[in-house]
Amino acid sequence: MCIFSLFPLYLVVLSSFKTGGSLQLSSFMPKEISLENYKMLFSSPKIPFLAWVKNSIVIASAVAISSVVIGAASAFAFSRLKFKGKKFGIQLLLLVQMFPAVLALSAVYVIMERVYSFAPSIGLGSQTGLILVYLGGSMGVNIWLLKGFVDSIPAELDEAAKIDGASPVQTYWLIFIPLATPVLAVVCLLSFIGTFNEFIVARLFLVEMEGRTVAVGLQQFIGGQYASNWGAFAAGSILASIPIVIIFLSLQRYIVNGLTAGSVKG
Amino acid sequence: MGSIFRGKFALFLKIAILAGTTAILTLLAQSAFASGESAIGAFLVFAIAILNFTYFTKFSIPLKFFVPGILFFVAFVIAPIVFTVVMSAFNYQTGNYISKEASIEQVLILGVEPDANQTTFDLVSGKTADGKFAILVSDITNQKFFVSTKDSLTTLEVSKLTINEYGVATTAPGFTELSADVLASDTSYSDIRYMYENGYYIKIEGQGVGAVFRQKIAYDAASDTMKNVITGEIYKNNGRGNYALVGSPQEVLTPGWRTPIWFENYTKLVTDSRVRTPLIKVFIWTVVFASLTVLSTFAFGLLLAIALNRKMRGRRIYRSILILPYAMPSIMSILIWAGMFDSEFGAINNILHTHIAWFSSASFARGAVLLVNLWLGFPYFYLICSGSLQAIPSELLEAAAIDGANPRQVFRRITLPLLLQILSPLLIASFAYNFNNFNLIYLLTGGGPRNTLDGEIAGATDILISYTYQIAFGRNIHDFGLASAISVIIFLLVASISFYGLRKSKVMETFG
Repeated sequence: MCIFSLFPLYLVVLSSFKTGGSLQLSSFMPKEISLENYKMLFSSPKIPFLAWVKNSIVIASAVAISSVVIGAASAFAFSRLKFKGKKFGIQLLLLVQMFPAVLALSAVYVIMERVYSFAPSIGLGSQTGLILVYLGGSMGVNIWLLKGFVDSIPAELDEAAKIDGASPVQTYWLIFIPLATPVLAVVCLLSFIGTFNEFIVARLFLVEMEGRTVAVGLQQFIGGQYASNWGAFAAGSILASIPIVIIFLSLQRYIVNGLTAGSVKG
Repeated sequence: MGSIFRGKFALFLKIAILAGTTAILTLLAQSAFASGESAIGAFLVFAIAILNFTYFTKFSIPLKFFVPGILFFVAFVIAPIVFTVVMSAFNYQTGNYISKEASIEQVLILGVEPDANQTTFDLVSGKTADGKFAILVSDITNQKFFVSTKDSLTTLEVSKLTINEYGVATTAPGFTELSADVLASDTSYSDIRYMYENGYYIKIEGQGVGAVFRQKIAYDAASDTMKNVITGEIYKNNGRGNYALVGSPQEVLTPGWRTPIWFENYTKLVTDSRVRTPLIKVFIWTVVFASLTVLSTFAFGLLLAIALNRKMRGRRIYRSILILPYAMPSIMSILIWAGMFDSEFGAINNILHTHIAWFSSASFARGAVLLVNLWLGFPYFYLICSGSLQAIPSELLEAAAIDGANPRQVFRRITLPLLLQILSPLLIASFAYNFNNFNLIYLLTGGGPRNTLDGEIAGATDILISYTYQIAFGRNIHDFGLASAISVIIFLLVASISFYGLRKSKVMETFG
């Protein structure tokens, strides 16, 4: 079982240190260790690997931070405030977040194509446009996830604040935010992983070589010439995966909680 | 610290942020209206209004928390969904992509024909004395020379011209030639229809060359028809986004425009066998794929959870190793598997000493898809099952053991039913997720193998969502209308599956 789990990963590590470009297993122990593939990633003009990594990090951070900032306010309101239409709001949120984003892809595409016609810098093909689309798309899931976490923070403190005469806005900034910071950080990282992992919208949006994300870039450059680039691909995917794997393993506990709350990792 | 959130500074900050946002949104709204995107413009105006209203009045405190979230949610989730539903009622596809005005314009531009001899002239581009774009044309065959603009034609006497060694006039009185630089930077002069005789006009076809055309198609706005002015044929608006020839509706003028065809995209799914047959095939495979994935990942995960549930050495290491596939970015792992299945260079054939073209045969490709998804998915159920196993009260199991049940009976009669009860919403969620597992299919097999030569859109491993993607963004034809109709149906399916799951898990009841 462990072999089944590990084999592909082991193979990738082996291939990344091999000179030939294929994902073949010539022997279980590496015969040679060459850094050729890693060097290629950083020096070959055909593979702007660093630019891709930078794009991915910029896009994923922007989305993660903004979506938590915006989402936390909504989650707080859903969790702590009383107002008309709350139940309807939550049900709508739940229903809509089930709509798989890929299904509305053609609509998003057409809308952003039209936005492009009057504001090219935030329309189709721009990273800002992509960030906006991700941000909107992550709203449902994140508010849902955050609400789950917020519910688990004891309400006594902010009730006490309320009795002392704090307005909801003050309660939010002075009591809730300091309490919720670790939770918000976790959701932020989860959102980062999710965005980092996203492929298809990025693929449709980012056409220019330099502007791509790691996922799209790596997929594209093995897509064309099969087998010839697997070594570099292996090296690239290892470098791109390590931070994600580390974040993931350190957040394991929260992720499992999130899983049982009904969301599935993408 | 509290002073930051009260007092003048907070007010100033609030006004500054709001003013900035309002300014940006206003700019965007203006340019949206200016380029005719009134729906987007209207949304932006609405956003400006609601933002300022919410934060400058005390109308509703919850709204202060919700507004940014709501605006994003509406713009990028609700609007695309509504738009998908709207598009599903349109013939939105290649050939009917543009608006009606743009279509008429294009039809008129394309509705021209050259004269019978396909005459071409040598010419020089320039301007007349009063600054209009003009061409100096040399009809060498007939030794006629003239200056032509959009709306005038002046015949010239040979004696007043400079004629070069090829017989082409290069200068004329009152005519200034434009330099090559100007011509290269400004293309508007080549779009002009320069006047010629008998209703024909001259169009610049290249540097120094023009050809003779006349308008063949004319538009009559009153009756909304196109007329071939030469043959007298009438093309009527067929109500489906094209002008079709009266008497033979198959002959349409292209390009057409997008227009509502109401439920036709939906009825096509049922009545048109070219759409229906692949759709049924894809649907069956989608259900089989999702069910087998849930079954296999759950069974594997559960087995492992049980095996590792007792105390043993190195349990933590096993655990970490087992969830590694789950921690890897799934895109990377899928691509790695794609490489391993490669028939020539992949590790799988290499180890098995076989030469199977995995992705060329339908059954091998499907097997590969299921195997890879098992690899990707079992850690999820392992994590969940091992958590849930600990939640089952051990008294129950002990009581059963005391009553003489053997371990297998305990598992079948107590552990499994209890687990299924706890996990059924997650199993349903996993089914719904895999039902739409686009990345796996798209990155591993691309939905193939498919017979592209026959124009087949649905491949053997295509699931509904990747099939929809192929219809919308495939190689040849982009049919957003049909894709949207299928999307709406998938949404209804997934929503009812998930809704059922949630009802079962009673999440819905806990909202207060």
